[in-house]
Amino acid sequence: MEGLLRLRLALVFSVVAHLSLLVRSSSLSSPELQIVNAERRIDLTSHIVRVYLTLKVENAGTSPASEILLAFPPTQVDRIALVKAAATVGKKKKKKSHLPLDVNPIALPVAPNGTKHFAISLSNPLGVGESETLEVFYVLTHSLEPFPVEISQSESQLVHYHDSAIILSPYLIKQQITVIKTPSTKVESFTKVELTDRAGTEIKYGPYDERPPYSFSPVIVHFENNNPFAVVEELVREVEISHWGSLQITEHYKLVNAGARHKGIFSRVEYQSRQSLSGVSSFKHLLARLPPRVHSAYYRDDIGNISSSHLRTDSRKSEMEIEPRYPLFGGWKATFVIGYGLPLQDFLFESPDGRRYLNFSFGCPLAETVVDKLTIKVVLPEGSQNPSAVVPFPVEQHLETSYSYLDVIGRTVVVLEKENVVPEHNSPFQVYYNFNPIFMLAEPLMLASAFFLFFVAYVAYLHIDLSIRK
Amino acid sequence: AFLVPAGIIACFLPLSDASSFVVLYIVTSVYFSGVMVRLMLVLAPAACIMSGIALSEAFDVFTRSIKFQLPGVSGNSQNDAGDASSGSVVTQKTDKNEDSVKERPSKKNKKKEKENVEKASIKSQIEKRLLVLPLEASVIAILLLVLLGAFYVVHCVWAAAEAYSAPSIVLTSYSHDGLHVFDDFREAYAWLRHNTEVDDKVASWWDYGYQTTAMANRTVIVDNNTWNNTHIATVGTAMSSPEKAAWEIFNSLDVKYVLVVFGGLVGYSSDDINKFLWMVRIGGGVFPHIKEPDYLRDGQYRIDSQATPTMLNCLMYKLSYYRFVETDGKGFDRVRQTEIGKKYFKLTHFEEVFTTHHWMVRIYKLKPPKNRIRGKAKKSKSKASSTTTSRRSGTRKKNPWH
Repeated sequence: MEGLLRLRLALVFSVVAHLSLLVRSSSLSSPELQIVNAERRIDLTSHIVRVYLTLKVENAGTSPASEILLAFPPTQVDRIALVKAAATVGKKKKKKSHLPLDVNPIALPVAPNGTKHFAISLSNPLGVGESETLEVFYVLTHSLEPFPVEISQSESQLVHYHDSAIILSPYLIKQQITVIKTPSTKVESFTKVELTDRAGTEIKYGPYDERPPYSFSPVIVHFENNNPFAVVEELVREVEISHWGSLQITEHYKLVNAGARHKGIFSRVEYQSRQSLSGVSSFKHLLARLPPRVHSAYYRDDIGNISSSHLRTDSRKSEMEIEPRYPLFGGWKATFVIGYGLPLQDFLFESPDGRRYLNFSFGCPLAETVVDKLTIKVVLPEGSQNPSAVVPFPVEQHLETSYSYLDVIGRTVVVLEKENVVPEHNSPFQVYYNFNPIFMLAEPLMLASAFFLFFVAYVAYLHIDLSIRK
Repeated sequence: AFLVPAGIIACFLPLSDASSFVVLYIVTSVYFSGVMVRLMLVLAPAACIMSGIALSEAFDVFTRSIKFQLPGVSGNSQNDAGDASSGSVVTQKTDKNEDSVKERPSKKNKKKEKENVEKASIKSQIEKRLLVLPLEASVIAILLLVLLGAFYVVHCVWAAAEAYSAPSIVLTSYSHDGLHVFDDFREAYAWLRHNTEVDDKVASWWDYGYQTTAMANRTVIVDNNTWNNTHIATVGTAMSSPEKAAWEIFNSLDVKYVLVVFGGLVGYSSDDINKFLWMVRIGGGVFPHIKEPDYLRDGQYRIDSQATPTMLNCLMYKLSYYRFVETDGKGFDRVRQTEIGKKYFKLTHFEEVFTTHHWMVRIYKLKPPKNRIRGKAKKSKSKASSTTTSRRSGTRKKNPWH
């Protein structure tokens, strides 16, 4: 009896010991990363918020780490337009080169207060005890809220920016500093937590030591920002490829001034006479950067042609300065269509495996604008097969068919949709397709045979005798 | 065009029924074109016929001279009474014995091969002295006439391109630094289309009704159809009344925006102040409290310091010239070529929401009524009962403010 009991006790004890060993070994094999030094610069000079983060990460755990996580509060995550990361290589200050790294959103099972995470995949896993410096860059849109929400013509525009003085991170941060840059020295107020300082256009929070993971200290900066808040609510770009030598692009814009809404009167005499005081947050001009060798450009809207535009071409780029019919104050909208043609040889190439591809730039040609919903439609010539698109960031794709002149089976259209597009998205993308050159003859043959048949029919009609009796 | 008098005279020489018809036609159309310039359309065919007659008579003389003097051309009979067929249907000359006529001359009588068809040596009565000019003179004269025709064609094309092709919604003017485009109408309509609510109603004079409906996509009160004179008179009365009465009229029509066209800054003469006399007349025709003499000074509509007080207080004056004095300091109206009468005033019932780049279109919004009315307090002025007295006095007269 006693022997049995002691045996059972020993069994239970050994099982418990094994289990504890197992548990401890699993905790031992997870990497514990620490951020030795973090420096964050928030650039608020435009209506698009750009944040530059420099992290020096050290692996204080016991196993190599292949991923580094970034954390964002749930209010900011919806407004992130893009996140880029690069690893700095090289010891000397002057010889740093940057390797771009992949950043992907990741869902963690345990996330306090609904924080969302992004994972940076390292090219070489970070060994135990090693440290690496990463540069992270992310862009936030619609993050500056106008406050007051409505302003009159003679007032300047003040906005709120919400963020945290302490960088939100799943790791312990040993030292950190945050610098916020405002466009002008007019700052109404900013939350003063410990170690806050303001010098000119820069507000400094820090340096702070030893903050535990997921620590957050909300601050609000209320400052003046009179940059044009040009937001394109919807943009549809149609790129039509014609193998007869040109690329025809049509862009439909719905533009709005997303700053503080304009209330009350609009006095033209004040706007024209006191230009530095009146309507400072409105804008009159927009600049569109187009590829060089653009021809047949037009700028019109539903009513007709808008004559106030200038096109300046160069050998390296073309710039079209457009002026909507009226200056856009807060909340005012305008819609227009810009179209132009480009030579085909600049954009259509042949890939080594025999497929053709179009190399074109994604994004909106208007400078410093946010596009809420961007749709790019690439219309491939008739007879193209196997279309596929390669885009450097995630987009939604699907195919459509459109019918145009002299089409029998319709043209395949590759439709790419993306939301929250910023000027940093203006990178080239490719659309691959197969095209049998014999299809080039389809249209001229169709026209020639139509005329031929018509003439043959007429000649036959002239010579056929249909009379019943002679 | 300047050949018309010559053609008239040519019509008289053998005066027949047809040629007298044409003369009467041109005389009456000249009179009517003088009365109203749009009736110049009626003058056009008459002038064409007349100048055609003159030209064909001239060519006739010259080609005949050439034919007479060129040796070897068949049929030089002196009694070549051939004239008749010009380009028009005028000359019939059917009287006298023309049975001997072999074939009627064709329309192409300007060519040299005009076989003398009318041998008519019998027609001694009509034998007029035919004009024969020396050869060189007639050749040069034909050349000059052809050149004249060519230049005239070029001139007509240029005149049609420059003077008759104005689309009247986009105005252009040439200045020392190129072409200036005044796209104010479309600017105002685009603003209305994008920055007002879909159900908002716009009141303006009826000339802009169709344009507002098509381009601004908003409901208007009166448009170019002009089938309801009372409705137009209501708008005309509102434009001629002082601010408060105009506000009441527009509010009863559920109007949100009022649009006026003003050409005083750039010199555009078809603006609403020049059309104002029609607003007064049509309004006065239906609503007797608008009397035209109230707006006239010495029989003229004036907006300068000599204008009548009714004119200076009416809505059209105020909406056109609101803050106009701040543009140049004196308020000089380029169309009326004078400074305005009342320069500094405020609007109490309307607010300016948009003015286009060259001030050609001005859009105002009706202000919502105030919550409290400061009515005329009665003799017993006590602070506590001031609201009740104002309410009572307000309900006694017709209160439009709710």
